[in-house]
Amino acid sequence: MLKSILLSFVTLLTVIANLQAQDVQFTAQSKPVAAVGETFTLIYTLNAQGSNFRGPNIQGLDMLSGPNTSTSSSIRMVNGSTSMSITYTFTYLLQATREGTFPIPAATVTVNGRQFSSNALSIKVIKNSNVSGAQNQSNAGQSKGTGSPSGGVSGTSNDVYVKAFASNAAPLQGEGIVITYKIFTKVPIAQINISKLSSFSGFWSQNLMKENDKLQQTTQVIDGEQYVVADIRKIALFPLKSGRLVIDPLELACVAQVRRQGKTRTGDPFFDDFFNDSFFNSGVANVEKTLKSNPVIITVRPLPEEGKPVDFSGAVGTFTLHSEVDKTRLKTNEAVTLKCTISGKGNIQLIDKLNLTFPPDFETYDPKVTSDIQTTAAGISGNQIFEYLMIPRKPGKFTIKPLVFSYFDLDKKRYVTLTSPEFSLDVEKGTGEAGAVISYSGANKEEIKYIGSDIRHIKDNEIILAPVGYRFFGSVGFWLLLAIPLLLFLLFLFLWRKLAARRSDTVLMKNIRATKIARKRLQKADEFLKLKKQDDFYIAISQALWGYLSDKFSIPMSELSIDSVHEALVQKNVNEMIITQFIGTLNNTDFARFAPGEKSVNMERIYNEALEIISKIERELR
Amino acid sequence: MIRMKPYFILLLLLCTTLSGYPVSQRDYIFKGNKAYSAGSYSTAVEMYKKVTDAGFESPELFYNIGNAYFKMNDFASAILWYERAKRIDPANEDIDFNLNVANTKISDKIEPLPELFYKRWFNALIQFFSVDVWASICVVLFIAGLLCGILYLSSRVLVLRKIGFWLGFGLLAMAGLSFVFSWSSYSFTKATTEAIVFAPTITVKSSPDDKSTDLFVVHEGTKVRLLDNISGWYEIRIANGSVGWLPATSLEKI
Repeated sequence: MLKSILLSFVTLLTVIANLQAQDVQFTAQSKPVAAVGETFTLIYTLNAQGSNFRGPNIQGLDMLSGPNTSTSSSIRMVNGSTSMSITYTFTYLLQATREGTFPIPAATVTVNGRQFSSNALSIKVIKNSNVSGAQNQSNAGQSKGTGSPSGGVSGTSNDVYVKAFASNAAPLQGEGIVITYKIFTKVPIAQINISKLSSFSGFWSQNLMKENDKLQQTTQVIDGEQYVVADIRKIALFPLKSGRLVIDPLELACVAQVRRQGKTRTGDPFFDDFFNDSFFNSGVANVEKTLKSNPVIITVRPLPEEGKPVDFSGAVGTFTLHSEVDKTRLKTNEAVTLKCTISGKGNIQLIDKLNLTFPPDFETYDPKVTSDIQTTAAGISGNQIFEYLMIPRKPGKFTIKPLVFSYFDLDKKRYVTLTSPEFSLDVEKGTGEAGAVISYSGANKEEIKYIGSDIRHIKDNEIILAPVGYRFFGSVGFWLLLAIPLLLFLLFLFLWRKLAARRSDTVLMKNIRATKIARKRLQKADEFLKLKKQDDFYIAISQALWGYLSDKFSIPMSELSIDSVHEALVQKNVNEMIITQFIGTLNNTDFARFAPGEKSVNMERIYNEALEIISKIERELR
Repeated sequence: MIRMKPYFILLLLLCTTLSGYPVSQRDYIFKGNKAYSAGSYSTAVEMYKKVTDAGFESPELFYNIGNAYFKMNDFASAILWYERAKRIDPANEDIDFNLNVANTKISDKIEPLPELFYKRWFNALIQFFSVDVWASICVVLFIAGLLCGILYLSSRVLVLRKIGFWLGFGLLAMAGLSFVFSWSSYSFTKATTEAIVFAPTITVKSSPDDKSTDLFVVHEGTKVRLLDNISGWYEIRIANGSVGWLPATSLEKI
C-alpha cells in the first residue's frame, strides 16, 4: 500500500517534470468579425502554469470585463504512463462599439522565468444587420463558467436564451401564423415567469398553449452544443391589416441552476458575487436571470383585390356553411330559429356577423353566437354557430333569402363564396287576438281612440236596388228629365210668341181704328146734340172717350179708371198738361150730365172739348 | 255536401231566373239582415252576395256586406265593400265612419299626400252629394228655372216678371253647376280604378317582374290606385304617392 502511494508520487513528479519539458503554448483566440454592439470574448490559452500575465492594450473596443482567469487540469493514465495537462485561460469580454478593423496586440506571460508572447489578432467590426438574432438580448445570462471557447457563431455561446420563431414571416392578411417562443438552455432552469408579452398590435391573437401545460422538452444540438429546448409560448396570430408589423420581444425571468466548477473563481463579476458566498459553496448555484427574445417582423401581404366579393368581411381559411330552420310552417307570433353554422379552419372567431336579411315583417333579435373552437399547435379550427330567433308578426308566405358567405381560400388562393339554401316559411294567422298584433306595429293616438269602438249597425230599412253600375246621371231618364222640360219650355215659348203676335195685331188694328171709332161716336153725339137728346149725347161722348183709350192703350174696358188711364198716358210720354186736360174732359163729361144750367150750351162745349182733346192726344202720340 | 249540391244549383238557377225581380232580392236582403242580427255573419254575407251576384247594387247593401266582413275580422274585405259603397254614395256618414274604423284595424298607415286647397274644396263640394243626388238636383233646378222663365215671359206684372227673370237665371246657373259636379264625380269614378290589397304581406316591386327590386311592403287592406296593367301585374300608387308594381292576384278591384 505504502509502496503504491510512493509509486504514484514518483509518477506525479515525473509527470510534472515532463510537463515542464513540454513546449509552452500561449495563443489568443477571438472571432475575427463582429457586429457593432455585439459582445464577444477574447481568450488567451496557456498550457502551462504561468504568472505575470500582461494583457494587450486594446484600442477601439470596449473591454467589459477581464482578464478573468480560470484553470483546469487533468491527469491521464494511459497504459501505465501518466500524463498531466494544465490549462490557464485568460478571458476578456469585449464589445464592439463602432465599425472598423481593430488590432489586438500580443499579450505576454511568464512561465518558469521565461516570457512568452501570444499571437496578435485583428478584429473586424461590421454594421449590425442581424436583427432577429438573440445574442444581443441574452447577454445578461452570459457565462464563461465552463471555459469553453465560443464556436464563433453568434448567440450559441450563451447558456440560456429565448428566441421567437414565426411560422411564416410573410402571411396574407387574415392568414394564420404561429409564433413560438422557445427557450434554449444548457443549464437546468426553473420558475419561468413571463414578465412581458407583446400586445400583438395589428393581430388578432389566440394562445395555443394552456397556462399550466408542462413544458415539453427536447434536446437539440446547435453548433456542437447540446441544448435543452422547450416551447414556452405558442400563439396563433391573424394579421388584421397589411404591411410591416413588429412583434415586441418577450421578456421572462427564470432561475438558472449553475453548476460550480470546484472552487475556482470564474472571473465573471456577475457570478463571483454568488460563488463567493459561503452558502453557494455546494456546487450548484441558483441565479435569477432576465431573458429577452428577439423582436419579430412580419410583413403582411394584402389580399388580392381581384375577384373580391362585395360582401367579403375578412374571413380567411377553409370553411363550410350549413344553415337550417327548425320549422317551415308556423303561426303568427310563434318563434322560429334559423341556425347557421360556419365550420372550418382559419380565423373563424373573427366571423362575428352574418350578412342575413329577414322579411320586413319579422321581429328579429341579435343572434346567439356559439363558438366551438379547437386551438391546437397546428392552428385554429372549429365551428361558429349563429342562432337567429325570428317572430313573424303577420301571416303570409315569406322567404328567407339565402345567406351568402365569402372567404379567401388559402389553398386555392382565391375567393370562395358559399350560399345557403333559401327557406320559405308559411305563416298562418295565429290564434292570438288581432289587438295584440296591432299593438306591435306601434300604437298611436288613433288606435287608442278606437279601441273598444265598433262599426255602426247595418241598414235595416228598405234598400233601393239598382242594376250594377247604374247611375241616374247619364241615364236615359236623366236626359229625358232634362230634355222634356226644355222642349216644353221651347214649345211654350213658340206658342207664346204666336199668341203675342196675334194679339199685337188686334192691338194695332184697334189703335189704328181708335180715332175712327172715336170720330164716329162723336158724329153720333153731334146728331144727338142736334136732336137735343141729352142722355144719348153724353153716353156717346163717354163711349167715344173711354173706348178711344181702351183701344189706343190696349186696356180692357173692365180695368179702365181715371188712375189706369193716367198711368197709361204717363207711360206713353204724353204731356202732363194734356193728360190733365184729358182727365178734366172725362170728369166734365160726367159732371155736365148732371150739372144745372143750359143743357144745350154745356153739350156744345163738351163736344168741342172732346174733339179737341182726342186730336191733341193723336198729335202727341204720333 | 253531395245533397247540398243540387239544392245549391237549383238556388242558383232560381236566382238567375228571378234576377229581374227585385222582390226576391228584397227577400235575400231581409234574410241577410236577420242573419247579421243573429250573429251568423257568414250567412249574412252569403245572402247579400246573392243580390250582388244577381247584378244589383246599392250603397246600403255594400255597407251591410262590409259590416258583416268586419264582424268576421276580415278587414280587407270589409274595406273593399265600404269603398264600393262609398263610390256610389260618397256623402254617407255611416259608410265613412265604418270605413275609418276598419282602416284602423289594418297594418299600413299611409300618410296621404296633401292636396291643393282648391282641389280639396272642390272635391269636398262634389262629394257633398252622390252623383245621382247631384243629377236629381240638376233636373229639379232646371225645371224650376224653366218655370221661372215662363213666369218672366207670361207675366204682365212688372215685379213678377223681374222675379221670374232673376230667379230663373239663378236656378239655371245652379242647375248647370250641379250638372258639372255630377258629371265630374261620375267621370272621376269611371276614370279611376282603385283596388284593395288582399295578400297578407306583399312587396311592391319596381317593375312587373318577380326578380325586380323590392320597393316597399304593403299589407292586406291597403287601398291602392291602379295606374297601368301589364300581363298580370298592376302598376299601383298608394296614398302617399309611392308607385310600384303588384301582381294582379294580390289585388281586388273596388
